[in-house]
Formats: sequence, C-alpha cells, structure tokens
Amino acid sequence: MMLGLRKDKKDEDAGGVNPFLALEKTAVLQETRIFNETPLNTRKCIHVLAKIIYMINQGEQMGPTEAREAFFATTRLFQSKDVTLRRMVHLVIKELPTAPDDAIIATSSLTKDMTGKEDGYRATAIRSLCKITDLTMLTAIERYLKQALVDRNPAVSSAALVSTLHLGKDNGPAEMVKRWTNEINEALNSDNVMVQYHALGLMYSVKKHDRLAVSKLLAKYTKGGVRSPYATCLLIRIACKVIEENEQENHPSLIDFLESCLRHKSEIVIYEAARALCNLPNLSGKDIAPAISVLQLFLSSPKPTLRFAAVKTLNKVASNHPSSVTMCNLDLEHLISDTNRSIATLAITTLLKTGNESSIDRLMKQIQSFMSEIPDEFKIVVVRAIQGLCLKFPNKHDVMMNLLSTMLRDEGGYQYKEAIVNTIIAVIEANPSSQDTGLYHLCEFIEDCEHGVLATKILHLLGREGPKTPTPAKFIRYIYNRVILENSTVRAAAVTSLAKFGAVCPNLRPSVLVLLRRCLHDTHDEVRDRATFYLNVLESGDTALVNQYILDTLQSSIVGLQSLLVHYIDNPAAEPFNLNQVPITTAPAEVTPSSKTDELITESRKPAVPTKTRQEESAERLAQIPEFARLGPLFKSSPKPIELSESETEYYVRCDVHTFPQHLVLQFEVTNTLDDQQLENVSVEVAGENYTVLGYLPCPKLVYNTPGTCYTLLQLPKDPSLVPATFACNLKFLVKDCDPNSGEADAVGYEDEYVLEDLDIGLNILIQRVFKTNFAASWDEQGDENQAEETYSLYTVKSLNGAVDQLVNFFGMQPCERSDRVPDDKTAHTLLLAGQYKDGVECLIKTRIVFDGVVNMKICARSADPALNELLVSSI
Amino acid sequence: MASIFQRFLDWIRSLFWKEEMELTLVGMQNSGKTTFVNVLASGQFNEDMIPTVGFNMRKVTKGNVTIKLWDIGGQPRFRSMWERYCRGVSCIVYMVDAADHERLEGSKQELHNLLSKPQLVGIPVLVLGNKKDLPNSLDENQLIDKLELKLVTDRDISCYSISCKDKHNLDITMQWIISRNKNRK
Repeated sequence: MMLGLRKDKKDEDAGGVNPFLALEKTAVLQETRIFNETPLNTRKCIHVLAKIIYMINQGEQMGPTEAREAFFATTRLFQSKDVTLRRMVHLVIKELPTAPDDAIIATSSLTKDMTGKEDGYRATAIRSLCKITDLTMLTAIERYLKQALVDRNPAVSSAALVSTLHLGKDNGPAEMVKRWTNEINEALNSDNVMVQYHALGLMYSVKKHDRLAVSKLLAKYTKGGVRSPYATCLLIRIACKVIEENEQENHPSLIDFLESCLRHKSEIVIYEAARALCNLPNLSGKDIAPAISVLQLFLSSPKPTLRFAAVKTLNKVASNHPSSVTMCNLDLEHLISDTNRSIATLAITTLLKTGNESSIDRLMKQIQSFMSEIPDEFKIVVVRAIQGLCLKFPNKHDVMMNLLSTMLRDEGGYQYKEAIVNTIIAVIEANPSSQDTGLYHLCEFIEDCEHGVLATKILHLLGREGPKTPTPAKFIRYIYNRVILENSTVRAAAVTSLAKFGAVCPNLRPSVLVLLRRCLHDTHDEVRDRATFYLNVLESGDTALVNQYILDTLQSSIVGLQSLLVHYIDNPAAEPFNLNQVPITTAPAEVTPSSKTDELITESRKPAVPTKTRQEESAERLAQIPEFARLGPLFKSSPKPIELSESETEYYVRCDVHTFPQHLVLQFEVTNTLDDQQLENVSVEVAGENYTVLGYLPCPKLVYNTPGTCYTLLQLPKDPSLVPATFACNLKFLVKDCDPNSGEADAVGYEDEYVLEDLDIGLNILIQRVFKTNFAASWDEQGDENQAEETYSLYTVKSLNGAVDQLVNFFGMQPCERSDRVPDDKTAHTLLLAGQYKDGVECLIKTRIVFDGVVNMKICARSADPALNELLVSSI
Repeated sequence: MASIFQRFLDWIRSLFWKEEMELTLVGMQNSGKTTFVNVLASGQFNEDMIPTVGFNMRKVTKGNVTIKLWDIGGQPRFRSMWERYCRGVSCIVYMVDAADHERLEGSKQELHNLLSKPQLVGIPVLVLGNKKDLPNSLDENQLIDKLELKLVTDRDISCYSISCKDKHNLDITMQWIISRNKNRK
C-alpha cells in the first residue's frame, strides 16, 4: 500500500509518465549493490526491487548468472525488519528465475516469516516458499502449511490455499495435498469471501478426477452454505462441467441450482448462471428463457461491463436460438447508439442474427452510420454477421450487396477488405441471383485495389464465373485494365482470366486473342509466358487442348511432382516423364464458414503457407519404410482414418488405406488404453477374398496411451472388379503385465489376440478426385461412344441429399460445378463426378437422381477405357 | 512529521553511540551454529533443533554494538554458498563439533577451502570448538593441531573451545568478536 501511494505520487511528479519506462537491465542489476551497504537505505532498496519485478513482468530475459547474482543480493535484505521491504523481497524471490538449488537457501528465512507474528508479510512468504520448495522440503514445512490453510487471517489463508493449488499441479505434492482435506474443508466454511472461493477451487482440483466426489461436493454446496459470490460462480462452472461431461444423463438438481442462481443478489453470480444456462448443450429455447430475461435486464444497466457481458452472451445465444433473443430486440436497438463501440457492435450483430426480413433495411442504414467509428476488427465481425444474414435471407441480397460495396470503397485494412471480399464470394456462390451484382461490385473494387492478393483472388473468380454470365463481354474491360495498370503478379492473373473468357465464349475469342497478343510485349517473363501459352492453345482451336490446359488447372500434387522429377533426373530413363504417375493432390478440407461468423474474438490467423496434405505426408512417411520402397508412387490414401474399434475399448485401432500401383498398404494406428499392460510385436492380421497378404510390419512395442503404427501389405487383385472386399481383422500381440505407476513390464508375456470390426474396401480406393471446372466440355470431349449406363433404385436412402452423399463417397470422385449441393425443394437432381483412375485414365460420371419415395437413378460413365465404364456403372 | 523527526534523531544517536558489525557463522551441520545464535540472542539453550534449511538472519545487541549474524546451514548443498555470505563481513565464525571426531577431517577441508577464496582474503576467522561439555571432546590445542590452523598465516585467526550448553567461554568469544569490528577507530 505504501509502495502504491509512493508510486502514485511519483507518477504525478513526472506528469503521468511511467517511471519504470526504458529500464536498462544491466543498470538495474548494478543497482542491487546497494543491498550490501550499511546502513541499509530501505526506500532505495524497495525501489530497486520494484524495478526488477517490473522488468521480469515486461518479459525481460535474465541469464542464469544474472538471476543468481540478483537472487543472492536480494537475500541479503532479510537483515532489514521493514515490512514493505520484506514483502518486496518475497515477491522478487518468487519472480526471479533462480535455479532450484540456489533458491532453497531462502527456505529457513521464509518459513520463519510465514510462521512469525508479523501478519504483513506472512501471505507473501507462503507464496514464495511454495514456489521455491521441492518435495523433500515440502514434508518439512507441511505442518506450517496445514496450519496456514486455516489461519485466522484471511490473506494468509488465501495465500496458503492458492499456493497449495499450484503445488498440487505436480504429481508428488498432489499426493500430499490430498491428505489436507480436513483443513481445506475448514477453510471452505470460512466467512471470508476470498477464502471460501479459494478453498472451493482447491477442493475441486483435489477431487476433480473422482467423479463421485465431485458430485458429492456439488450436492453439498449447491444446497447452501456458500456465501461468497466468487465461490458460487466457481460452483456454477463446476456444475456446468459435470453436465457437459455426462451429456446423456439428466441433471435436474444442477439445472435447478443454476436457475436459482439467477435470483442471487450478486450480479456476478446472476451473470455467470445466465451464461452457463445459455451455453449448456441440449437446452431448448424455453429452458433458457429465464436466463435471457435476466440478461435483458442487464442490457439497460448503467454499468458498461454488465451491458457488454450481457450483449456478448446474447450474441452467442442468437446463433443457436435466435427466436429466444428476439424479445430483447428493443433493448438491443437502444444499445446501437451506446457510447462504447464494442457494445454497439455486438448489439448490431446480435440484431442481425435475430432480425427478420422486414427489419433488415433499417438495420443496414444504422450499420452504415456507425461503421466509420469502429476499429477494423469489429468491422470484420459485422461483415461476417452480414454474410450469415445473406445466406439466411437470399431475397435481401441487393440491399446487403450495396452495403458491402460501400464498405469495400471505404478505408480499411487488408483483413477487413479480405473479409468483405470473402463474404461477397460466399454470397455469390450460395445465391446465383446475386452473381451479376456481386461480380460487378468486385470489378469496381479491383479498379482501385491496393492488395495484390485480393486482386488476383478476384481475377481468378472472374475467370471462373464471368464467362458463364449472360453478358461476359462487360468484364473484359475491367480485366484488361489490370494488364495495363497493375504489378506483374496481378497482370499474370489477369492474363489467365482473359484466356478463360476466350476458352469458354467462342464469340469473344477473336477479341481475347487480340488482347493476349498485346500482352506478348509485357516487361515481365511470367506474363509473357502465360500470354504466349494461352495464345497458342486458343489459336489451335482444339477443344480438348483448350479444356485441358486453360479451364482445368494442374492437379498433380506439387510435392509429389517434385520428388518424382528429382527421381527422374537422378535415374535417366529412355521414355519421357509420365505425368500420370504423379499422385493427384487431394481436395483440401473445406472450411465451414458458418462457425467462424459467430466468433467475436478474431482468432489467430494461420499464415497462408502451402501445407502438405494428408496424402503427401503419408507418402513421405511410407517412402521412408524400406519394405515399401519398391512399391512405386503412392496413388491414393484414404481421406480419413477408418475406426476399427471404439475409442473407449481396450485397444483403439484406426486404419488408413494406401493404394499403390500393384499393392495395398493398410496402416493401423493402435492405442493401448490399459495402463497395466505393455504390448509387444503388435500386428493386425487380415483375411479377405481375392487378396493375398504379402507381409506384416509389426509395431515392436506399445506402451500405455502412446499410439503405435503397424502395417499390413496386400497384393491388389488383377481384376479391378474384385477390388471391393470386406476384411476380417484381428489384432495379434504379446501381452506383458506392467506396473501402472512405474511402467516397468514383466519379463515374460503371453500371446493374445483381439477381434476388430471388419474393414470394408470399395472401388473408391482406385479413383482419385479431380477438379473439372467445365464439366460439360470434358463430358462432350469424351463423346457418346465411350459411354456406359445403368439404372438403379435405392430403397435404403430416404432423401436426395443422402443419395448424393453416398454416391460421392462410394466412387471417391470429385463433385463438379457444386452439384453436390441439392436445393431443398427439388425432387430431381443431376450429380456430376470427375476422377482419375489408378492407371491415369480420366473418368466422368453423370448421375440423374429422381426421388419419389424411393431413389431412382441413372448412372452414365464416360472414359477412354470401355472396361472402366462398365466397371463403374456395374459396381453399385 | 513526528516520525521523520524521530528517525532523524535515531540516526544522529546511532552515529555517536551505536556500532554495527556483520559476521557470518558457518561450519558443518549439527555443530551448533543456530544454537549458538539462540544462546547469544536470548540466552536460552535448546537441545533439539531442526537443521537450518538455508540461512537465518539474526541481530544481536551487546552493549552499544549491534551484530548482524548470518547463520548459514551446514548441509553439503549449502556449503558452496557460504562464500557469498562471507564476503565483506567483519569476521567469519567457523563452528566445529569438537566431540565429533569423524567429521573433523571434512570440517578441516571445508575450512581451508573457504579460506582459500580470493574474495575473503584478510577477513579474521574465529574457530569455535563447540560441545566442550561432552566427555571426549577436543580442547583448543588439539583442535588447532587437527584443523592445521597454524598453516593460516595471512589473517587474524583464533580458536576457542566453548560450550553453548554450559555457556562456557561465551564471554571471551563475544569480546573477541567485538574487538574485530572493523568500523572501530
């Protein structure tokens, strides 16, 4: 306190400038010399100690020697009896990164301070002591700590409780802490607000692994006896955790407790309970109504913190239960004009979620009026909310598009602009009727866009979507302007985009050719190269060439291509390099945008570096195993592991299937969930028709909870129609009993096996996904003669969506032109799939699905290989 | 205001009458260092003590001299830190358990090791042979012999045989210590 006052005074003198600003580490450490002076200048010492603490808190790194010197100098200050100085000494001992061997020297002095008569520094002594102590010393001070837990002085008791909580994080001391339950219980009955809170926290951390004990704890204290509001908040959190962990059970008493907390006299408890209720899974809108009405009251509170907390929670609730929040709309609208912009932003985004179609126009006007006043990160929140709204009310897209385009023209950073562009793109994709206006706004934007990344992104989009619009010609001007005005990256993207227009729209082709010819004189290599390439392809007039090289991009995996090329150069061969060998890159997992829109906190952005896909990673791993080196390039890995046993069972097994030209590698990831067993020589034995097992690569040793990998190598059947199969899988291993604590295993073990679920393998392991930008063109290119077709009825599937999902999964091919999305009210749908067969042949499937109670479908397959067509259509 | 004035007065007074000195007490574990401090400070002898983990800092006032006593633990893990607390003190008191013949050799080595530190050159050393009351304890001359104190020539060194239990020879020990006060003109 004294110190605080003094600091304040100093602050005033210096005109509010931080006196600790720009401290020099070596200078401060030099100053510790005054600790050795006689007589001691207490005031100066305190100031130096404060500087040291400030530096540590600012993240200044201290070397081991520096910390050591500072530590020993500080211990000299135990000679002073000044209470403030002693407290500072305790703090510095706690904060300094001293080696444990050195720190132990302060034990005796700290123990004396902790048990002494001077209450002023007992609490700090406990904290420091617990920080520096080790397990052997802990037994020596156990008695004092136990006493401190139930000390009359609340500060001392709290310090002991919190320090014990930290001690309990390590295994050794945790055992000892468990023996102190009586003392903790006594502290729990304390009248002091903080002591009770800390005691409850400690009690919970001691018992948290014992489900029964936790529920007893809850049962006892939810009935009453907790006077501290903080402890009540903690109790609410514990209750929530219990409810979440055992979702399938009902917890009427806990829910009742949460609801009763809504009538608590402390605001912090009321809010905590309301938030807890809103966050609970499986609660209907009716159940959370009382919580919502409490939050509604908070909305008109004079305290900004309460308003902020309430509106933030409501914002979250609005994503799942928009109708429940509707009743707060009036209060929320008042908050739009709140002086605190954070509250205003949250209020408006909440309104966007709950609002109905008629209120949108009004809301959009309000948003426009305050957009300029809020920082970028909040603008991004608003933009994401608008995105959600566009998907919800497709009819209102013109109003929102207008708003978005105004926002696009306003000042803003890259992330803000990116969010808007992404929103517009998402809206265009979801809602075809907005495509024209959307693309137009984006064109306007790139006319004056300082972010090259965004410009290339938009140019790419224009190249893909523009040619399909009714009036493609109007985009050409915007794109060619880029060629004239922008830097080389954007120019190159513009050239590609132009070429796509030329490829798709025959009537525009002559003009595009003229423009491309002009690009031949560009200053940059890449731009000239692209222009020359496209020009030649387009002038050839060969549809197949145009489709392949302009509309479809290179789909080979870059990493795979690189490694194969290196191999090719190292081992010169007579025949030219075969691009079909190169594994195809797997589709990146699509990020569902909906989950992101609700997040207020801007999540840490991952840098957009090219990451290796799952397949590339496993290819690398497999290539390092000598047994698999001669299998040739990896063709395909299963997109996600298949579970062969459930995660709760004794042995948790997941399987990845890797397809090679002639072989199949099954990769089993096995986790041993029994802590009293150690497995050795683990392998998975498989048996299936038409397949021959060539070898097993067992996992030598499997300890508790550490996954291990074993492999099984199979020969692929020559006839592809025999590929689909079901394997019976058996986990075989040598069990050795072991001590769960030490992990030491017995010398001898016994053979055992464990039956796993069957592994189903379908045709999809032979087909890799391929993107086709222009499916129709590729389809026509193959021609009628290379076609096979078949008609089926499915009785097990009950909807169009289900049928589409199953087909995509079954063939393992890429749905094209977004044909995997079925509009809700349709009864018929055409699914377009594209893929590449194992030997490099491209195959296309067009499926017409009609739903009238049962699913009827006609499958047409086209590829250069008639046998493959037959195989595809007959495989179902 | 009054307190400031009081402090000022104290300071003036201390300039004229009070003297401060600092000394460090080291030695093997269980030789009676903390007991010695307790007897000096409060005159009470307590047989069962717990080992000192780290150090104790005590202030003892004898007449107009205030002695700051650093009592450092004697367990092996602390011995490397003795030197740090011996720097710049008026004198080092080295405690030896005169009845513990087994530890005497180790004690000798630690003492000479400590005295060889360049930082501690010239600081007077008082070796105390404690537990004189026990039957087969060594006397001063035997200790001087065993600890090879004659080899130490670069500083003021003395050896007394004392007993904290019987409070024997404590008075001459105090006299010796106070006479080593380096602030004394």
